[in-house]
Amino acid sequence: MDKRLRAALDSANQKNPSHPWTHTGDVPFGTDSVHTFRLANGLRLLLLVDRQAPTVSYFTWFRVGSRHEKPGKTGLAHLFEHLMFNETEGLAAGQFDRKLEEAGAETNAATWLDWTYYYESLPKDRLGLAVTLESQRMSRLVLREPQVTSELEVVANERRFRVEDDVEGAANELLYKTAFDKHPYHWPTIGWMDDIKAFTPADCEAFYSTYYAPNNATLVVVGDVQERDVLAKIAKAYGPLPAADLPEEDTFPDPPQTATRETTIARPTATEKVLIGYKGPALGDTDHTVLSVLNEVLFGGRASRLYERLVVKDEVATDLRGWVSTFRDPGLYEVFLTARAPHVRADVLAAFDDEIARVKEELVTVDELERAKARLELGLLQSLDTAAGKAEQIGFYDTVLGDPRGAFSRLDAYRRVTRGEVRTAARRWLEASARTLVHVVPNGAEPAADDDDAAADGEESEAEVPS
Amino acid sequence: MNAAKTTLANGRPLVVETSHALPLISFAIAFETGSYFDPPGKEGLARFTGRMLRRGTKTKSAQALEAATDRLGGELNVEVSHANLTLHAQVIARNLEPFVALVAEVLGEPAFAEDELERLRKKAVAELLEARDNDRSLAQIAFRSAMFGAHSYGRRSHKASLLTISAQDIRAHYQAHCLRENVSFGFAGDIEQDKAELIVEKLLAVLPSSSEVPSFGALRDPEGPKGRSLVIVDKPERTQTQIVIGALGTHGHDPDHVPLLVATAIFGGTFTSRLMREVRSKRGWSYGASARVGVERARHAFTMGTFPAATDAAKCLSLELDLLDKFVAGGVTPKEVSFVKSYLTRSHAFEIDTPQKRMHQELDTHLLGLPADYHSSYLARVKATTPDAANEAVRMRIHPKDLAIVVVGTAKELEADLRACVPDLGSVKVVPFDAD
Repeated sequence: MDKRLRAALDSANQKNPSHPWTHTGDVPFGTDSVHTFRLANGLRLLLLVDRQAPTVSYFTWFRVGSRHEKPGKTGLAHLFEHLMFNETEGLAAGQFDRKLEEAGAETNAATWLDWTYYYESLPKDRLGLAVTLESQRMSRLVLREPQVTSELEVVANERRFRVEDDVEGAANELLYKTAFDKHPYHWPTIGWMDDIKAFTPADCEAFYSTYYAPNNATLVVVGDVQERDVLAKIAKAYGPLPAADLPEEDTFPDPPQTATRETTIARPTATEKVLIGYKGPALGDTDHTVLSVLNEVLFGGRASRLYERLVVKDEVATDLRGWVSTFRDPGLYEVFLTARAPHVRADVLAAFDDEIARVKEELVTVDELERAKARLELGLLQSLDTAAGKAEQIGFYDTVLGDPRGAFSRLDAYRRVTRGEVRTAARRWLEASARTLVHVVPNGAEPAADDDDAAADGEESEAEVPS
Repeated sequence: MNAAKTTLANGRPLVVETSHALPLISFAIAFETGSYFDPPGKEGLARFTGRMLRRGTKTKSAQALEAATDRLGGELNVEVSHANLTLHAQVIARNLEPFVALVAEVLGEPAFAEDELERLRKKAVAELLEARDNDRSLAQIAFRSAMFGAHSYGRRSHKASLLTISAQDIRAHYQAHCLRENVSFGFAGDIEQDKAELIVEKLLAVLPSSSEVPSFGALRDPEGPKGRSLVIVDKPERTQTQIVIGALGTHGHDPDHVPLLVATAIFGGTFTSRLMREVRSKRGWSYGASARVGVERARHAFTMGTFPAATDAAKCLSLELDLLDKFVAGGVTPKEVSFVKSYLTRSHAFEIDTPQKRMHQELDTHLLGLPADYHSSYLARVKATTPDAANEAVRMRIHPKDLAIVVVGTAKELEADLRACVPDLGSVKVVPFDAD
């Protein structure tokens, strides 16, 4: 620890002798350094001083997401993303946002399968407000009517535009529902509509007291701040909060998928689409970076293999995307293909499968590999242009992998990937027997010969077929 | 951090925002032209011209150009709006020189090849179909047409117009519109002024030149709606609707421009604005509820947007109209003005927290024909806004009896209730969502 940081730590600990920080090490982050600390109640702090703009970003990452829910109570983690902006003891409903807006702050939150985060980006002289408000809502949130019911309505509306009335949203939800059986990745983070509508304040209270506690949270602070000021303010506000008795994880991994799964939905859309999910690696799996490089070769930009084949050469598709899910447990390698009328999804799938077979046989070219790596490097740099961008990267990798410098570790890993490894990853992960397909057909379209059981408008049908 | 703005020989700006925080350089090459100049019947020409720039040079096919860009860790995007055509380029700093050479090739030797044009045409027609999946996009398209009618803001490309555009049209358009004489440059990131100037020199040398520079002299403010009209974009099975309500808005040169921005922020510009509080917080009717004023080269729109469940659509529309009436008749309070001024002045830090944002602010001032001090005097003008000035601006600019209202939803379930909830409703049109 350098002298400056030592002085800041000593100063903060003298101010709050009952709640001293422990310095848990410094982690390189690009050319900078993230200082890491812990309070006795388990709260962790990751601090990066960044003087590029007179602002500060304050992220609170909770290690709770929809994977921690139970069937019948899906969507609870995400509902908190809304409830947390309501009433706290000492702060009336609506005042949380009002105070932040008055300070010129931006605030928002996100929930996913493995985590939830809340953030404020503030002018640098308003850091204290974020510390006060966040520490209050970590421990003194008020969960009662009519706010809970009103937020259920807002979330139901959110679900309508993200899922019910959105073709891709509906297909994506169905993909995970079909691909996973027992594992909690089976249900959507926003929750099933019936579950959303049935939540009570008591459900919320139970979830809050279980998961919203300092020992289940990490603060990430990035900006033009003084270390001693950050340490002193946070220790004073959070130090007295009690740690919770966190439950042990109770997750059922699915057995390996051995047969293709297929399902079809009809929607008011002009073109046929197909969403494919191969069972994929967890973010921490070394194959995740290799598969990400392969994804870049296949889908990264208009010089990519699949764009060239499906869009330019065969002209059977208009839109295509691939993404290796970035989850803590093994997720999916998602592929989305939109057919170009009059072509149908069978045409797109045939060309796609052809290219998948090729990438398992032949090595990708040196040039393809280099381009993929350059694109991934550019993507990383682009994500770091604001304090909030850096805080999100640091917090995400810390929460999912326990490695605050994960973004840069991945960049190093990308650089080491070889052509042979890419081919091996394709052979390992792109197995037809381990994939799930969601077919999207326009309403009123005649079902193709291979899916006679395509259901009526808006309904879904499922079939599992051996491959 | 270091900022510089100089004037090129063509009278246009060169903006350089230096920051060595990341090994990344962004630059913008912005031409004062845009869809405003699309000839009638060839709507989409400016956009096609921009998109074709990325589709090959005399020596590189479209694919080879994309591959060369990727290889350098670069990105090249083209934005075409009503009033400008801008190439946005970004590259990892170590590859700046070869990337600039590539951009010079794109600008100096565009192929505008027939086969690529056919590919683009097919793709663009397919995109028009795809856009129908997106209800928000359907609402925006219908709104522009209802709000602006025959004005250039209301025109849009459609399948028939895209089919008429030839490679020769594109070549001619490029030669006449993307000129040494009407281009501005902006650089941001890991680059210094002197290096930027050398690049500008290189790029200027390859651009077309003409003594006839496209002029926006004939651009007039749109007339805006007369009376209240309702357009229902009919789409089956909607559980949710998209509602856009609009009136004529403001222009950057209006003396009451900033007071109107301040009042609009109170009405629907923040998470705790009147609209959000009434629609979302109190009633849970819509996930979002907002109001904004567009800032463009000519007067643009004041718009309100919500997306309630189909069962709440008429109630929500009625509430919005009521809130708008109260906003115009009753004005905003001194307390609200004081609050929002604090928000706007303090949050301004996030409008300029990256070198790229700062660079674009400077460039936009020029590209949208805004007063030269538009951004530099913005904070002072916000601070100087009084409640009286805000209320006067609202009364002067927004006429609640002259509104374009667009709802995307399932007409047979909505039409009667929507008609009933809009007082003094004039014309009503129901258009299928998949109409060309």
